[in-house]
Amino acid sequence: MEVNWLIIWDFIPQLLKGAQVTVHITVVGLLGGVILGAIAGLMRAYGNSVINAIAFVYIEVIRGTPIVVQVMFLYFALPVLASIRIDPMTTAVLAIVINAGAYIAEIVRGAVLSISKGLSEAGLAIGLPRWKVIRYIVGPLAFRRLIPPLGNQFIVSLKDTSLFIVIGVGELTRTGQEIMAANFRAVEIWTAVAVMYLIMTGVLSLMLRMIEKRMRIL
Amino acid sequence: MTDAIITFRSVSKHFGQLKVLDEVDLDIHKGEVVVLIGPSGSGKSTLLRCINGLEQITGGDLVVNGMSVLGGNKVLREIRQEAGMVFQQFNLFPQMTALQNVAFGPQQVRGMSARQARELARELLAKVGLADKADHEPAELSGGQQQRVAIARALAIKPKVMLFDEPTSALDPELKQEVLNVMRALAAEGMTMVVVTHEMCFAKQVGTRLIFMEHGKIAVDGRPGDVIDTPPNDRMKDFLQHV
Repeated sequence: MEVNWLIIWDFIPQLLKGAQVTVHITVVGLLGGVILGAIAGLMRAYGNSVINAIAFVYIEVIRGTPIVVQVMFLYFALPVLASIRIDPMTTAVLAIVINAGAYIAEIVRGAVLSISKGLSEAGLAIGLPRWKVIRYIVGPLAFRRLIPPLGNQFIVSLKDTSLFIVIGVGELTRTGQEIMAANFRAVEIWTAVAVMYLIMTGVLSLMLRMIEKRMRIL
Repeated sequence: MTDAIITFRSVSKHFGQLKVLDEVDLDIHKGEVVVLIGPSGSGKSTLLRCINGLEQITGGDLVVNGMSVLGGNKVLREIRQEAGMVFQQFNLFPQMTALQNVAFGPQQVRGMSARQARELARELLAKVGLADKADHEPAELSGGQQQRVAIARALAIKPKVMLFDEPTSALDPELKQEVLNVMRALAAEGMTMVVVTHEMCFAKQVGTRLIFMEHGKIAVDGRPGDVIDTPPNDRMKDFLQHV
């Protein structure tokens, strides 16, 4: 079969639909992941030994197992264990929340702990309660240091959505696979899929670089 | 005396197995300028940090302005509003200007309006000779200027006592004086001060009382002029020769 690039045009609408699903899972999943990660990270940084241990176990379990196994567990094992049945799309979003949350927790913890202890003490010493020290002093400083590694995690998570092919979510990779199965245009379709991923991660990188530029790291 | 503003009652402090303060008894009175000296590891900084609860005491009791540091978080915050602290490393909030650094405390802690807090901050910056640096960020200031802003920040919450933890140790010799001058002026106004320092000139000229610490205990407690010129103890004599 000859390589015919023009054939891609016929499948652009279908691929865009797949890309839309990818973006949807990524955005919703990362929104949850950032919230979960911030909570778990702060638990690690500021919690007493029990709270710290809970967050630690969560992070280690997720970091220590492949994301495909986590997806399989959510989709196939959870219904058996707890008779909770969730649809593929929800499973996908949940998997990103839980998976990204663990990595983001470590990013948050690292950023918070990188802020000099002396600044917290200076805040406490003028009589601020601990939460105001976090909210007004450590938080804004840690946030700036958070941006580069967080951006990295966003890109990783976006690409991780391609794994949801295994539970039949119609995201970009799955869509490409389906088109390919029908017409065997491997070169054209996988090139198109790769370019679409590059556009999405490229936009993400660009956004992050703009945020970084606008904020000086202190 | 009954007007003690800070009272240590056999205060101990352990870091794990290590005993850093060993049943210290000490009364500090209003208007005193107490200079704490001693070899590193003698417990002088720890003693200072126990006063505003940045270190938790592990034995005895410590009362500041009538409140015990063991009284829980709320009481501790009240104590901290009565005992301002100045750190060796300045610890100015880098994301704020000099003015914001000073205004932040009164606004957040004393419930002042933003305008009142800014006015107070301007007044205090003028007092430490930095009226023209109000809108500069800490990174744009010299070490001596940063430390003077830090003093203004501590004063902004209207404390009754000022705690200084080696305020000039991180400064070049020529910048030390500008900070010491501000402290001198503060002492002249009658502020109660507890100062950990190695500046013996300052101790002699400004201090009303000098405490030499060793192994977590107060080894010498006397008038600075007397005990510096004729150290009552060999180890203090030895220490003074090396400062």
